[in-house]
Amino acid sequence: MIELKDISLQLNGKLILDEVSLSIDKGQTHVILGPSGAGKSTILRVILGLLPIDNGQVIIDGREISSLPEKEALQARRQMAVVFQSNALFDSLTVSENTAYFLKDSGLLEKKEIDESVKTVLSFVNLDGTEGLYPDQLSGGMKKRLAVARALVTRPQIILFDEPTTGLDPINSKAVLNLIQRLKSIGTTSVIVTHIINDAIMLGDTLSIIENGKIIESGTIKKILQSQNGFVREFFYEVYQDSSLLNEIQARDE
Amino acid sequence: MNEDESTIKVSFTEKIQKLQDYSLMVADVFRLSPSIGKNRASVLSEMYLIGTQAVFLVLVGGLFTGVILAIETGHNLEKFGATLMISRTVSYGMIRELGPAITGLLLAARTGAKNTSEIGAMQLSEQIDALKAFGLNPVEKLVIPRVFAALIMFLPLTMIADMAGILGGMFITNMTFNIDLAYFWNTAIHILQFKDIFVGAFKPILFSFFIASISCFYGLITRGGTTNLGKNAIHSVVTSSMVVILLDFIFTKVVWEIM
Repeated sequence: MIELKDISLQLNGKLILDEVSLSIDKGQTHVILGPSGAGKSTILRVILGLLPIDNGQVIIDGREISSLPEKEALQARRQMAVVFQSNALFDSLTVSENTAYFLKDSGLLEKKEIDESVKTVLSFVNLDGTEGLYPDQLSGGMKKRLAVARALVTRPQIILFDEPTTGLDPINSKAVLNLIQRLKSIGTTSVIVTHIINDAIMLGDTLSIIENGKIIESGTIKKILQSQNGFVREFFYEVYQDSSLLNEIQARDE
Repeated sequence: MNEDESTIKVSFTEKIQKLQDYSLMVADVFRLSPSIGKNRASVLSEMYLIGTQAVFLVLVGGLFTGVILAIETGHNLEKFGATLMISRTVSYGMIRELGPAITGLLLAARTGAKNTSEIGAMQLSEQIDALKAFGLNPVEKLVIPRVFAALIMFLPLTMIADMAGILGGMFITNMTFNIDLAYFWNTAIHILQFKDIFVGAFKPILFSFFIASISCFYGLITRGGTTNLGKNAIHSVVTSSMVVILLDFIFTKVVWEIM
């Protein structure tokens, strides 16, 4: 479904991504985990085609998209959706207008069908009754759920999440994590970027660990915890100390 | 190469790069302008924001420009017993030069600051990236509606400023130099020829395109944080104002040579 082959990227003379390769199957939830500034969000931007790469290939559904002209690249992006860390909601539009924005622009549906889709997706993310509110009238958790709703409404095959729970309180954080888990049931392929280990363990079918723009380990959480890499062992230090969590991971994979 | 030369070289390269990026954006505006029908709601909304809401500003600007023009020329013409010429001066001055220029400068500040800060804030809050990520072109969604709204609204706004200036000039001339209102009005309107109307009508259309496109461009290239947004808003207003003044000169010179 998503394949990154030897992606390298320099920004202002600094190497941001160093021969990054990834392969994510259809319907899978893949988590890219690493410390701040490691290049996690850059990978999402590369998949979206928002950053031009110096070397490598981005292949979505068997089609190489990084070298496409802008017009075709915009078309290719329509099978993807993204939930930005900042949510990137249109602050001059209401909740329902934000949700319907990209659907309206596609021109594929009648107004009645759009209204129906918006209603369904707002209900899916538990935002019923907020249709007329503006983003600045919503809490942090509600904004995040609205961003998810906006991403979901176009029925994308792939959804990318940039730090989905950062800045949220535990209750809202749990609600967003549950929402992402529910996406699996509808067959959506998700790529999640986070630095929060518990979120990664909870959500990821597979994980990639990134340090200084280089993927240093990739696979299931069980495989990653067996790694002898010094950075991986240091990053997961608290997990190694938590025997109940280790047992839970062991049981899950079995 | 010493440090100063190196800085000048970098600064020059950056300016050329900006000019190239601006040209590419303008090319996109032309290429994507057939999509305007799809964005007519945005055009109407922008017409209200940059047009209707600016009426009072250009009305006041035009009125006092006409009043000052009448007083200044009136006192000089009075020395030669030629106060009857005030109406001609005010009419030509407002329609051909000061009306479009003052309106252009006022709108460069108002519309320029609005467009740059709005689009720049969208850039900083990743809303522009969201548009691109969902397969939409920001030039089509954000720049074209603003450029079209400016193209539609700047001419009527300039006409309002022209009319306010002539009327202001007329009343102040009547009060200060005892020139008959009807005489002033008839002279001011009847001396205008096609050339004058053409110059007065074409300038705002030209200005509107550059003001709207330059201010949107500075919004789109905003990076970093709010400090850069503030800097870009300044660059946008300064560049737009310079372009208005330069185009005003070039256009006046060319028209006088040709017509």
